[in-house]
Amino acid sequence: MDALLIVFASGLISLFAAFAKKPWLVVGSAMAGLLAAIIVIIGQLQTGKAFFDFLTYEGLAFDEFALLFSLAICVLSLLIIGIGYERFKENPVHTGEYVGLLLFSATGAMIMTAYTDMFMFFLGLEILSIPIYVMAGSNKTDVRSSEASLKYFLTGSFATGIFLFGLAWVYGATGTFKLQEIQMRITEMDTLSPILMIGVLLIMASFVFKVGAAPFHFWSPDVYDGAPPAVTGFMASVVKIAAFYAFLKMFAICFGQGELFLFWKDALIVMIIITLFVGNLSALRQVRFKRLLAYSSITHVGYTLILFVSQVDYFFTAGFLWFYMFAYGFSIVGIIAVAIAVNDPEDRIDGLKGLGKRNPFLAVVGIVALLSLAGIPPTSGFFAKYILFSAAWKSASWLVIIALINSGISIYYYLKVIVAIASPAEETTEKIKLSPLTVVVLTIALVGMLGFSFILPLLN
Amino acid sequence: MELLLFILPLFFALSVLIIPKQGVRAYGIIGSLAVLGVVIACMMQYNNDGTTHYFVNKPWLAGITLSFGYDGISLLMLLLTAVLVPLILVSNFKNELAENRLFTSMVFFMQLGLIGVFISMDGLWFYIFWEITLIPIFLISWWFGAPERKAALMKFFIYTFVGSLAMLAALIGIKVNAPTFYIEDLKAVTFTCKTACWLAMGFFLAFAVKIPIFPFHTWQPDTYTKSPMAGTMLLSGIMLKMALYGMIRWMIPLFPEAVACLQWPVIILATIGVVYGAIIAIKQKDMKRVFAFASMSHVGLIAAAIMVWDFDALSGSMVQIVNHGLVAVGLFLAVEIIERRTGTRNLADLGGFAKQAPKFAFWFAALAFASVSVPLTSGFIGEFLMLKGLVQFDMIAGIVAGTTLILGAVYTFRAYQLSMYGPVTRDQFADLHWSELVVLAIIILAVVILGVYPALITDFVNPSLKVVLETLSTPSGL
Repeated sequence: MDALLIVFASGLISLFAAFAKKPWLVVGSAMAGLLAAIIVIIGQLQTGKAFFDFLTYEGLAFDEFALLFSLAICVLSLLIIGIGYERFKENPVHTGEYVGLLLFSATGAMIMTAYTDMFMFFLGLEILSIPIYVMAGSNKTDVRSSEASLKYFLTGSFATGIFLFGLAWVYGATGTFKLQEIQMRITEMDTLSPILMIGVLLIMASFVFKVGAAPFHFWSPDVYDGAPPAVTGFMASVVKIAAFYAFLKMFAICFGQGELFLFWKDALIVMIIITLFVGNLSALRQVRFKRLLAYSSITHVGYTLILFVSQVDYFFTAGFLWFYMFAYGFSIVGIIAVAIAVNDPEDRIDGLKGLGKRNPFLAVVGIVALLSLAGIPPTSGFFAKYILFSAAWKSASWLVIIALINSGISIYYYLKVIVAIASPAEETTEKIKLSPLTVVVLTIALVGMLGFSFILPLLN
Repeated sequence: MELLLFILPLFFALSVLIIPKQGVRAYGIIGSLAVLGVVIACMMQYNNDGTTHYFVNKPWLAGITLSFGYDGISLLMLLLTAVLVPLILVSNFKNELAENRLFTSMVFFMQLGLIGVFISMDGLWFYIFWEITLIPIFLISWWFGAPERKAALMKFFIYTFVGSLAMLAALIGIKVNAPTFYIEDLKAVTFTCKTACWLAMGFFLAFAVKIPIFPFHTWQPDTYTKSPMAGTMLLSGIMLKMALYGMIRWMIPLFPEAVACLQWPVIILATIGVVYGAIIAIKQKDMKRVFAFASMSHVGLIAAAIMVWDFDALSGSMVQIVNHGLVAVGLFLAVEIIERRTGTRNLADLGGFAKQAPKFAFWFAALAFASVSVPLTSGFIGEFLMLKGLVQFDMIAGIVAGTTLILGAVYTFRAYQLSMYGPVTRDQFADLHWSELVVLAIIILAVVILGVYPALITDFVNPSLKVVLETLSTPSGL
């Protein structure tokens, strides 16, 4: 709760700081707020005590996992604001809006990790989504950006509608919004009511839409491609973390028992397989960098969803999910930083050529991030994938083998980008200068990508 | 002290990046010699009783353990790596590449990965280091290779990566039945023959691509030809030995149940590779391609001999692993020497160098003899023991594989004759530079010494091989 308040407050502060028309002030206050939130969360994780204990509301519970996921959200938001600073600076009048919206969106994400009833979840989802609709269109002069915003808004609100519709069915079947009570009602049922089953399917569809799994993925390449890079990074990391954990919480706690699990499991497995192949095969022929990233992120959604059908204990699943999403988020930060710094107007993969000469540090970060996305040791992306696959092997070894085949396919397009970075430049060879802030952020991301796996023992 | 095996290559890989350009050559050689020193010190320390000497062995996380150690087999591979890396750097001495910081750094990263592969006693670390070696070798070839290298290298990377993924699947498959990835824990798991076969196939795919065994070899000739000399040497001299080592250390001990069903297919494929590689080598026009296919042919025989899983054959294959590492480096250097001076490797354009460069002719001839395994070279001992094992296992397989001796002579001497004899084709052909002479002399000396006194190797690895052979949990069919 403390961290939530702090992030919300710093969002407000940075919004008002914008009146000074000094980007560094806005970004500074936002980063200070997020840092404070991170410190508070770590403190709360260690002591188990919150300062605003009296403020607890029954719809929200910051248990250990909610805190861990909030930590991931805060850290990644901090890094993304850090790498986006250069872009914000170009447009000082609007910095406050971007940063403020981003923080509000992060607030929504934190609510989504801590919800205990459906009502609160819905609020969190909307708080998360609405700022992103705006942020995706923040390049007002760019047609693609406006297209991204509109597309995301239309499809997003459609998905929200589906969620509410599904929620109505579930409410009709169980008569409550609270997760625990829904779970109790479902276990009390002798036979599953069809009303409940329809509701669960609809809710699942809306979640799958939100995380961008096939066949509900059509919005994501356009939106990722059109949105400003920092927003793309935010969507690929923070939004996914929140959506995945909310998904896991709802489906593991409420709908994860016995027959109901078997009911939606098969549907999800089919979707996983489609997602993996659609994401990978579409990525193979992309020439635009962020579009490639969008398809790669669809594939990663496919990998992650394997956890949901792997029938592992909830605590392990949540832990693995946290690790996977955190590791993935670091790689996204690294990759997005490269996209921002190169700033190719057409965003071609070939535009990355000569990066090694233009800025060796950035090239190293980019290559490590791509290796991490591809899951090549010793990056944390590899450990994340390994843990996920080994967790799923017992119950769904054939699914793991399909996923491994897909890793094999995916290496082609990651390699394409890696060799583009390692190749000599075609035209421009002017050096890229990184601001000290970006260097610090990238160093953190690099350490995260290479050494994040070493914090695994702490999880136990 | 053993930790230096990791620290030294890492240190040199990073520190070489900030050394002034003129110093890179010397720095690289000093660094690789330092690693060699550490390896020799480890060998001195090791009491040769065949047991594994662990210098770190403790649990880490999620079933992964920090188990690093060595026995005779590992030490031999370490020594091969540590000897070949300075040789490769010295033979590269005359190239501009030797001044390149990135190149030298990548060589050290490569060495780090190789050392890791040979001393990991934990399945997942083995896999991690196995994959780590792929990145530097890919970058070396990508940055410094021949102009039309790109397609070949993409193929190489994807091939080997997909093969490794199969190994990862097999590792996960075996780990779910074992408490940790520690090698002894993994060995303790027993399977039904069918499961064991599937899992062993995962390992086999990874190894077969790297060795390469027919029909997984299609990446190899192109990659060898398009890589810079040092890259080719690393690939054929050391990197494919990882796969042979992996068969001895991991594949068979982990799945002894699978030997019965995998033995025949692997031996047949490997034997096909032996003959096929040799025949194709005979027809090649490009000298480097000749030796690329030759390498495939030689290594196929080693793979077949390992699969026989007989004590003498294994000990012969260890000798041959060392011999092939040395000779392959020598042969690729000989090709490079010709290419440096004439700018081509096309056999039709070469000839008559023996008159102009007698020293080179002598050492190259010695190498050619070592390559076709005449007695008094270590190749003879190795191939003799391996063929003996194969013949005992199955007469026909032994005879077919034995044709490698004849075919080997044909392609090696054809390449030698076309390049060194015949009408003089160039006005000038400078004789050996000291750096080239040193490398060739060291290789020939080592090959001859080991050929006369192979006990240097066999005495060292035999106790460990005995232990590996004895500890197989189910002796079915063995």
